[in-house]
Amino acid sequence: MVALATSSAGGKRPAPRARLLEDERWLAFALLVPTAILLGLFIAYPFVKGVILSLTSARVGVEGEFVGLKNFVKIWNDGIFHVTVWNTFWYTGVTTVFKLALGLWLALLLNRHFRGKAFIRAFILLPFIIPTVLSTFAWKWMFDPTFSVINWTLYQLGFITQRINWLGDPDLAMTSIIIINVWRGVPFFAISLLAGLQTISPELNEAAAIDGARPWQRFWHVTWPLLLPVTMVVVLFSVIQTFADFQLVYVMTGGGPANATHLFATYAYQLGIGTGLLAEGAAISLAMFPFLFLIVVVQLLYIRRVEVR
Amino acid sequence: MTTKRRTFLRVSGAATVAASTGMASILASGRAPVYAQAKTVHWLKWVDFVPATDQMFRRELMPEAEKALGIKMNLETVNGNDLQPRITAGIQSGAGADLIMSFNSFTHLYANSVVDLSDIAEEVGKREGGHYAYAKAICSDGKAYMGMPWAVIGGMIAYRKSWFAEVGVTKFPETWEEYREAGKKLKAKGRPLGQTLGHTFGDAPGFTYPYLWSWGGKEVEADGKTVVINSKATVDSVKFMQGFWKDAHDEGGLAWDDTNNNRAFLSQTISATLNGASIYIESLRRADQYKTEKGEHLNKDILHAPLPKGPAGQFGFHLLQSNMLMKYSKNQDAAKAFLKWLHTEANYEKFFLSQKGFATPTTAKWEAHKLWNEDPVMTPYKVAARLGQAIGHSGPPNAKAQEVLSKYIITDMYAKAVQGMAAEEAVKWAEAELKKVYV
Amino acid sequence: MVEGGLWRRWVFFYIPLTLFVFVLLFPFYWMIITTFRPDGELYKPWNAVAYQPFWTNNPTFEHILYLFEETMFSKWMFNTLLIAAVSTVISLICGVFAGYALARLNFPWAGGLGTTIFVTYLVPQTLLFIPLADIIRNFGLGDTPWALILTYPTFLIPFCTWLMMGYFKSIPKELEECARIDGASRFQAMYHIILPVAVPGIMSAGIFAFTLSWNEFIYALVFLSSPEQKTVPVGVTSELIRGDVFFWGPLMAGALLGSIPVAIVYSFFVEHYVAGLTGSVKG
Repeated sequence: MVALATSSAGGKRPAPRARLLEDERWLAFALLVPTAILLGLFIAYPFVKGVILSLTSARVGVEGEFVGLKNFVKIWNDGIFHVTVWNTFWYTGVTTVFKLALGLWLALLLNRHFRGKAFIRAFILLPFIIPTVLSTFAWKWMFDPTFSVINWTLYQLGFITQRINWLGDPDLAMTSIIIINVWRGVPFFAISLLAGLQTISPELNEAAAIDGARPWQRFWHVTWPLLLPVTMVVVLFSVIQTFADFQLVYVMTGGGPANATHLFATYAYQLGIGTGLLAEGAAISLAMFPFLFLIVVVQLLYIRRVEVR
Repeated sequence: MTTKRRTFLRVSGAATVAASTGMASILASGRAPVYAQAKTVHWLKWVDFVPATDQMFRRELMPEAEKALGIKMNLETVNGNDLQPRITAGIQSGAGADLIMSFNSFTHLYANSVVDLSDIAEEVGKREGGHYAYAKAICSDGKAYMGMPWAVIGGMIAYRKSWFAEVGVTKFPETWEEYREAGKKLKAKGRPLGQTLGHTFGDAPGFTYPYLWSWGGKEVEADGKTVVINSKATVDSVKFMQGFWKDAHDEGGLAWDDTNNNRAFLSQTISATLNGASIYIESLRRADQYKTEKGEHLNKDILHAPLPKGPAGQFGFHLLQSNMLMKYSKNQDAAKAFLKWLHTEANYEKFFLSQKGFATPTTAKWEAHKLWNEDPVMTPYKVAARLGQAIGHSGPPNAKAQEVLSKYIITDMYAKAVQGMAAEEAVKWAEAELKKVYV
Repeated sequence: MVEGGLWRRWVFFYIPLTLFVFVLLFPFYWMIITTFRPDGELYKPWNAVAYQPFWTNNPTFEHILYLFEETMFSKWMFNTLLIAAVSTVISLICGVFAGYALARLNFPWAGGLGTTIFVTYLVPQTLLFIPLADIIRNFGLGDTPWALILTYPTFLIPFCTWLMMGYFKSIPKELEECARIDGASRFQAMYHIILPVAVPGIMSAGIFAFTLSWNEFIYALVFLSSPEQKTVPVGVTSELIRGDVFFWGPLMAGALLGSIPVAIVYSFFVEHYVAGLTGSVKG
């Protein structure tokens, strides 16, 4: 309302060009042009080229010829690819559950009033801010089989007598990258969910409390339903990013040991760049698309349903 | 502090960065102008393991080249792992560095996109007693030289003299059995052998390939098509490896990258590891930092030896570097002139000396260089390039062999086995994967 | 505050919060300690005697000095800041415009367009960067900051658009209509009335976009080549990791210094960030 009062929007007469913009369709067109140009040029065009690439037998430096779906048939029968698909789903699923649970918990904690609130809220975002490549190197150092400070701590506390082979064991290697991803993602979840929590009027909770609802019941029946829309949006963006994750695994394990941590992006990179099989690499990257699309459509439909309700 | 940085910027700026215009105008215009008078040769190489070499290039050799050839040099260094995306993007978009350093069979992988360098290679070979067969196999397909052989980063076992002596081994084991026995005793004393079986370009294949060959295993026949990995020799090698790993190795090694074993060795948790000479060089560089448990300098207790023999012989697989001249380059003449200049003996020697034996030249003549006598610890590296064998054995080290290498199939075969998969199963897995490559 | 006794407050609030802060910030403490630790103390195995991982008695500035004297770290910081800031601004302008059009204007295929913009967010970078290299070359953008300034918006715009759409939807229509009755054009109404109200939303979209561009690695690695053009993530990894020798001290110093300035900016903005998201999620 303040904005309205101070605005000088009144008096001026619209110039002819501006009159064109009075038409909603023209205005929409004008407003969408910059986005369309940028996305068209730097996504749509290379995307189409990528799709075409995946249908050829191109290697690096060799154009190749049209081979139809042969590359897709090949990866469909590729054992490493199967492992990769499984890894990606597992990685995305587990990290999302943990990020959501821990992020929500942290958001509930941060939603209270305490001294140094602003300070803590800002610093808790650090894992999210720092360039992934660099923070992953720090983790690599902490998980190092010979120098692990985590092992040292657990050993000193008497939890272990033997070292834990964090990155050497296939299951532990996956666990390690999951831990790092969760560490990176929790702050984003927490801050976004905190934003959601702040839209919920405290009176609702107070009313429920007067009605005798226990804290847990209040959360479940009052807070959670109101928080659901924002939660879904955050989960959606997180799933997309996690599913296509590259940097973390590239730095940490390169997909090893014995392909135990390969994800779509790292395997596509290994084939396309490491081996020069550009077409197959493109096919693997593209194979990510339908999976991702499916997940996203389901989530979008769900969000819409939640919103309508 | 400020002055020092400025000098650095000026030196490196003049030599490598400025593309004929200087920082200020690059900042202003965003890119170098096309009307530059001198041609600029852009050389993309790895960040050398020996920092002194890159410094020497920046401060001495590049300015000299500019003076001698009337060109501008742009020397760019990147992490070895990041060379391939740059090469690929360069080739696919037709723009990028003129000269790019290649590791191993990149030369075959990018054969279509490089310029034949036979004239320079043959000239240098003739002058310096011939290129080793290993360098030829990797850089040439019999018709053309896809890369100009540069150097071999030798892989030798660095080991602790005193620790081996304490378990009664005074001469480095010659066979795998002896090595395993020694390793068993060492591991019992909490000083295991260290070896990576992870996805890393240097130390993992540097061990698994020669190990396989020494047992008589090979991925394909000489025709480069018939997959023959599933042989008794391979299965034996895998079975031996399973026991060997448990008995003698640091089991943390499964996911080590090329750096982990260096750190483990320098911190004295392992008694031996296959590596370039970088461990020893580091222990020399900061002698006072690395002391043995007896308080002596660690560098006095390090020796090098080649990988032991197996039933089928003794092999080595070393990182061979060459420089490729890219077909898309618009400065091919200038780049070629630079390469030729770089490979004159006087200039190459500067590089060779700065490496202190870390890099072994690819021609026979350098074996006689006095550098090899200066430090007996480094002497074994003298013949690294001579003992080397190219990937893809017995087939040619072509793009298929490179695919096997970069998919880590051989390495993963052993990694799977030591993680508990039956030897026969692991070999079968590798066979199936290899057949998908060699179609 | 948590109701009930003091112990409840500890169990349900202080202890969990402390644990969270500890786990989230521990890696940063680890970076700090590695930055100031002399190399001699670095190579001690985890089970060594008298190993003090959490403290050093001989702190050194050697690594930080190395970072500034022997590498172009300050230049990389400048590049990263510049690229992140400009691409964020571009993405915000596009995102605000597109978000406004999609949320508040009636035109054919609005829904379809919104979905399309969103779907572009799903296209994996690993597929794009090779064909993109081609485009970059055709425009003569290789090895200039523009290569990144123009490509980063591709993954920033979809997010910004969606966030702004949500935000604009939550602003009541009447606000605009009042201004229109007073004689303002549509564009004026948007510019003078709606945008000021949407500032918190714009801020949070901006912060998020800035973080993503600060983070990016593949494009920066492939499209830039001169040492003095590089960004922090690429520069630090390519200069401080020499094959099998890591320069841990400078590497960690670089990681730390590369994130602290942004963290300080965030500490001023975080309340707005929360407020901005609050608006956008109401819709």
